[in-house]
Formats: sequence, C-alpha cells, structure tokens
Amino acid sequence: MSLLKNVRYHFMKDLGAPALMRFSRLKKKKRPTSPNPNFGPALKSTNRLKEIMARHYFLSRYTEGAKPVAWVTSGAPVELLRVFDFYTFYPENHGALCGAKKMGPELCAIAEEHGYHQDLCSYARIDLGHYFSGITPVGKLPKPDLLFASNNICQTVVYWYKALAHYWKVPLVLFDTPYNFSTITEHDISYMVRQFEEMIPLLEQVSGQRFNYKKFQGIISIAKEGSLTWGEVLATMKTQPAPMTIFDAFGHLAPIVSLRGLPVALDYYRILLRELKERIERGVGAIPHERKRLMWDNIPIWYKVRDLSDIFAAQGMNFVTATYTNAWAETIYDLDVNRPFESMAKAYSLVILNKNLTNRLELMERLIKEYRVDGLVIHSARSCKPYSVGQYDLGRILMDRLTVPSVVIEADITDSRVYFEEQTRTRIEAFFEAMES
Amino acid sequence: MTRKEYLMRQKEEKGRKLFGIFPAYYPKEILWAMNVLPVEVWDPPLEVNHANAHLQSYICSVVKLGLELILQGKCKDIDGFLFPHTCDSIQNLASIVSDYLNLDTPCYFFYHPKAPYSAASRRYYLEELKGLVLRLETQLGALDFSTLKQQVKKGHRVAALLKELYRLRACDELTASNTDFYQIIRRGEYLHPDDFLPLLEEFLSISRGHGRKGPSVILSGIVPNPPEILKILDEMGVKVADDDLLNCGRRLLSPESRNEDPFEAMAENYFGMPPCTTKNSSLKARADHLFKKIERSKAKGVIFYMVKFCETELFDVPHLVEELKKRGLATLLIDCEVNQGLSGQLETRVEAFVEMIS
Ligand code: SF4
Ligand code: SF4
Repeated sequence: MSLLKNVRYHFMKDLGAPALMRFSRLKKKKRPTSPNPNFGPALKSTNRLKEIMARHYFLSRYTEGAKPVAWVTSGAPVELLRVFDFYTFYPENHGALCGAKKMGPELCAIAEEHGYHQDLCSYARIDLGHYFSGITPVGKLPKPDLLFASNNICQTVVYWYKALAHYWKVPLVLFDTPYNFSTITEHDISYMVRQFEEMIPLLEQVSGQRFNYKKFQGIISIAKEGSLTWGEVLATMKTQPAPMTIFDAFGHLAPIVSLRGLPVALDYYRILLRELKERIERGVGAIPHERKRLMWDNIPIWYKVRDLSDIFAAQGMNFVTATYTNAWAETIYDLDVNRPFESMAKAYSLVILNKNLTNRLELMERLIKEYRVDGLVIHSARSCKPYSVGQYDLGRILMDRLTVPSVVIEADITDSRVYFEEQTRTRIEAFFEAMES
Repeated sequence: MTRKEYLMRQKEEKGRKLFGIFPAYYPKEILWAMNVLPVEVWDPPLEVNHANAHLQSYICSVVKLGLELILQGKCKDIDGFLFPHTCDSIQNLASIVSDYLNLDTPCYFFYHPKAPYSAASRRYYLEELKGLVLRLETQLGALDFSTLKQQVKKGHRVAALLKELYRLRACDELTASNTDFYQIIRRGEYLHPDDFLPLLEEFLSISRGHGRKGPSVILSGIVPNPPEILKILDEMGVKVADDDLLNCGRRLLSPESRNEDPFEAMAENYFGMPPCTTKNSSLKARADHLFKKIERSKAKGVIFYMVKFCETELFDVPHLVEELKKRGLATLLIDCEVNQGLSGQLETRVEAFVEMIS
C-alpha cells in the first residue's frame, strides 16, 4: 500500500468527503418535496444516513493503493476483516441499491447475455452485470483484493463468489457454517473456529498487516454495541403508533450491514434511536392513523418499497416488524470480547437463514406477539430460495396458531420483470378484506 | 421383479430397514453396515400435484418430486429419511419434511464441508460421520465396527466396477447403448450392493467389445432425466462417452482408500471425489476435470443437461461453456424439468447439435 495514497484516502475520509456531502446537501435543500398525506413527518436522521452511505461509496474511489478492499457477503463475520483495515464493499447492498434505483432489469440482462440464467439470484446477476459493463449508480466500484463469503445466508453466494474470484482473479475466503438442521453442536463451533485460524495468514498476506488480538476485541465490542443499538431501534416499533415503518428500517439497515464493527455505524444508530424515542414521547407515528400493524417476511421488493408502503399506509396499515431487518439484531449482540472466535462462530451460524424452519416459525410467533401484529405480508422472492422455500407453510401455520391472516406476493428482490402489478394488487385487496373481517 | 417388490423383499426377507435418501452425497457404507437399504430419491415417476401447495413454481423438479412422493403416501414403508446438505432447496425441503409434515418417520441430516478443503474440513467430516452414526444408533442399535470395515470394502468394489465400466466406455470398448448404460448404473440407487455387484459384473462381461461408431459427447448436470436425451443420442449414433452428472460420475467413482480405519477411508473417498458444484469446487477444478474426460474419450462436445431452476449447476455453466468454446468444443445447454420429456423444440436443438459434431 502506498503512503501517499493512504494519506489521500484519509484526507478524503475526514475532510474532502464531508465537505462534498455538505455541499450536495445545500444543493438539495433548494428542491422542497410535497409531504405525502399517508405518512407522518420524515425522519431527520435519514439525511445523516444518506451522508454516511454516500461517503462510504464515495471513498471507495480512493482505496486503490491506500487500503485493501474486500467484497463481503451480508452475513459474513466482517469483524475479522476490520482488524486488517479492509475497506469492505457489499455486493448485496449494491444490488439492493440498484434495485431501488430500478436498474435491476438492465444489469440482470447484461449478465444474462453473458450466459447467466434468468433463474439465478438477481443480486448475483446485478453484480455480474456490473462486472461485464461497469454500470453502477454510484460511479465506480472498488476493485476487490479479496472476496469473503459465508454460506450462512445461502449456498448461492458461494456459487456467485466463485465466479467473482475467477473474473477478478483474487482469492476467495469461504467461511463455511454448518446448517442448523436441529441444533448447533460443539464440533460445529470448533470447525468454524479452526476456519478462522486458518484464514488469518491469508488475510495478513493480502492486507500486509498482522493480526492484532486487542484490536479484534475492540471491533467485536463495537459490532456488538451496534447490533444491540440496532435492536433497540427496531424495538421502538413495538410502540403504538410506531415511530417508523419497516420500510424506513429497510433503508436504515445499510450501516449495520456494510459498516458493522465501525464506530460510524454505532454512532448513527444512537442518533436514530434518540430521534425515535423523542417521537415516541411526543406520540408521533410514522403514519398518522395507525389502525393495523403488519409483519413483512423476506427481503424487500426494492423497486416497489415506496409504492407498497404507500398502498398499505393509505389503509392505516403500518409494517412494524420484519424477519429481514431483525436478522442483524438477532445474534450478533451475543458476541463476547472474551471469547471472540467462539462467539463469532456461534453468532454467525445462528442467523435466521442458517436455522431450520421451526426456528423461523418460533421467531415469527415471537415477533407477532411482541409487536402486536395483525397481519403478515409474505414476499415469495424468486431470487432467494433459502428465504422462500417453506413460506407457504409458515403462512398457513401462523394463521392456524395465531389467526394472523397473510398474503403472498410472488415477486423478486430487484428484477422487476417478474413483478406482476395486477396479480399483486388483486392479492393485496383480498388481504385488506381479510384484515377487516 | 419390480422395484417395489424388491424393496419389500429386502424388508421382509432380509430384515433390512428402508431409508429414503435425498440427493446427493451420503456415507452409504454406514447405512449398509447398520442393515439399512438406502433408497435414493432423485426423480420418482410422478406428476407433481400436492407439492405445489408447499413449494413455489421456481423450485426445481427434483425437490418437488421428492416431496410429492412423501405427500402421495408412497413412503409408508420407509423407516427413515436422510437429507444431505446439497443445496438451498434441499436444505429447506429437509426442514419442511421434518418440521411441518408431522410424519412419524425419523429424519436425519448430514452436513458435508464445502471446498476449498483444509485440515479443519477433514476433521469436521470425520466428526460428522461419527455424529451420524451416533444419531442412527438410537433408532437402529449399535454399529459393528468390523461390519463397517467390510461394507467400506464392498463400497470400493462397487466403485471399482463402475470405474471400469466408465473407462471402457470412454475408450470405446463397451457395446452398451446410452440408455442401457444408465439404466444399469442407476439401479445402484436402490439395490443392495450384494445384488448390485453381480449385476454390474454381468453387465461388464456382456458389454465388453468395440463400441459403436459415431461421435462422442459428455453429459454434465444433475441426472440423466428426461431419459429421452439418451434415446435420441442412441438413435442418432452418438455415444455419451463419459459424464459429469451429480447422480452418476461425480459421486459413484470414489477413489479406493487403503486406510484400515473405515471412517478415515470414507473421508478419503469423499475428499477424493471429482469436483462438484454442491461441494463448492472451483471453476478451474471443474473445467480441468471436464477437459480430462474429453481428452480420454475424444468427445467432441458437452451437453449441459440442466434441471430447471437448479442454481447450483447453472452458475458454473457460463465459464465452462467459455472454456470449452476456446478449445473448439461444441456445447449445448438444455434446461428442463425432470420426468417431463423433451419438447419438440428441444429435440430439434439436440439434433442440430449432433449435426454440428458429426
Ligand atoms: S437474495 Fe437470497 S439467494 Fe440471493 S444472495 Fe441473498 S440470501 Fe443468497
Ligand atoms: S436439481 Fe439442483 S436445485 Fe434441485 S435439488 Fe438438485 S442440486 Fe438442488
């Protein structure tokens, strides 16, 4: 790594980027938007969130020669990479962003032209589409020096990162997390801990830095705090009316995914939490007349978040919890600075998508009770088999056990070509009727 | 004797338990040693009906048919299910069956470590084997170590015969048609080795001889189903000289281990198996493996015979196709549902491919 480039990176991080963000904020202020009557006042913290994420993407332009870059899957134990000062980039997050900006079909189609089948996960197709075309809404993505994947969310990331390793010609580190068909065992944990030990020399080699145990403990502590605070943020939605909607939370999730283990993420959630608590004190709800409370299952339909939130809010229905947003508050808080490797192995292998469906059912039952949920919206996401297979049964069982009506929306996370407006509308209308009966 | 009659006789006359085994890798020797007959569930000949209430339209037909088999009540004589951790869909299917269907049949799971393999993976695999034994023992009684040793040796004999059949076929020294070849080797999906071994020996002895003239291809994918592909190739005088199919060449041709410890020997078998998508083998390892097969058999092209919606396989295809094309080899990609036959359009594509390599 070059000293000069490192200085430039830090200059941009501490001075250049904040100045630029301020400038763009001033510019934006000139364009007032008209308030949506279906929603309460917008969260002020959102501006800070935008700044943080824009800065994160912006800084990626200055990483070359300054910082080692790792592309990481959303469920990978990034804390270990932070010890070596990797700049971390999350293709799934980028995929979500492309989806929200309605660029999914374009990027997916490019990957398809290169032989990647339309039936493959669209996050992967977007990422490969970017590889072949360089197209991205954030200007430019940093070239990876290392790929770090964990199959605790799906096997798909493993296939996808294998392709990335081939194209980018960089090493791929896999953190293999045995699936919890029943329970996690001691030998599962030792296997995962041994994998951490085995990957450290490669991380040292790629980053040019030695492993530092004390630093690692510090990072674990920040990640844990970050996750706990994110959990508190989500818990504010237990209040009636909820101070934010889960659609807001989908956006506010970005730092806990991409910047986990860094003080900036923790600081941000403290700011957000403060604002939400103030709202609760003042009785301000995310939607003016919250009549019904809903749960969302699966990854968002990124290109429809705004439309869907509008449709439901117009009926006085607020999404107050989701299995998806909960995933980053579910186990990471269990990290233990005194047993960092073991606790990391445990925390990362016990995430929702690495546990059997009984666990998922129990989690959903708990969330439904704690958040006083009246109805469930299930997104059956074509891209995501581990999240989607079993959802039909989940919906049925929850109806039987808790009399919670549900609707299944057949769609995709970013590829809007498989979203069927009419079908969705009809199903949602039927759901509204069921909710009122 | 029909398959059903065979299985019932195994139960009644040999006192064997029957286990339904979902794809793909599993330590069959352990089951044999515990007097269990593994009956593999890849592509039961059924129409999918009930499974659609549990599985979305974008789930592969292997998983759908497996569930359908259970939902149609055709697994009543099954004493246990085993789900290896093969892909996301099988993983969740395992959970649906074990968590939601309220079956009385015990379900077992088997996690195999994913490549690249390290010392940790090897140790984990050994522990997984022993862990599986412990779990099975609660239902089946204690495992006898010397029986396991014998069964491991039996497994080697089966693999050795299959390897010989594959070698002869690749070197044009086997007369069997594509259809017959796969019909025979796929009987290992439910025959006990004591019955499968003589069948293989007989097939080997009657099939030795000069293969038929005509171009050769390699078949890559999950399973040679719809079987129509084999028939069309037979009719057009094209030989499947080798395969890279998950349920055939990728898991049946395990290397022989001389290790006296049966667990170590099974681990050596597993880690020595050909590269596979379900084990996370690298693209390079997969391409090299295909090239070796092509070199040995002088095949002129590869047919990627995909199961629709199988992400596991589809991800590797673009790279493999690119590498094959670089070497001037023909490729054909077909993705369809198992058991649904080949449409006229697909048949035409196969014919066009054959013309190209002829
Ligand atoms: S959407 Fe699902 S399949 Fe795709 S990367 Fe995420 S977890 Fe994996
Ligand atoms: S065909 Fe593919 S997706 Fe289906 S069970 Fe087999 S490996 Fe899994």
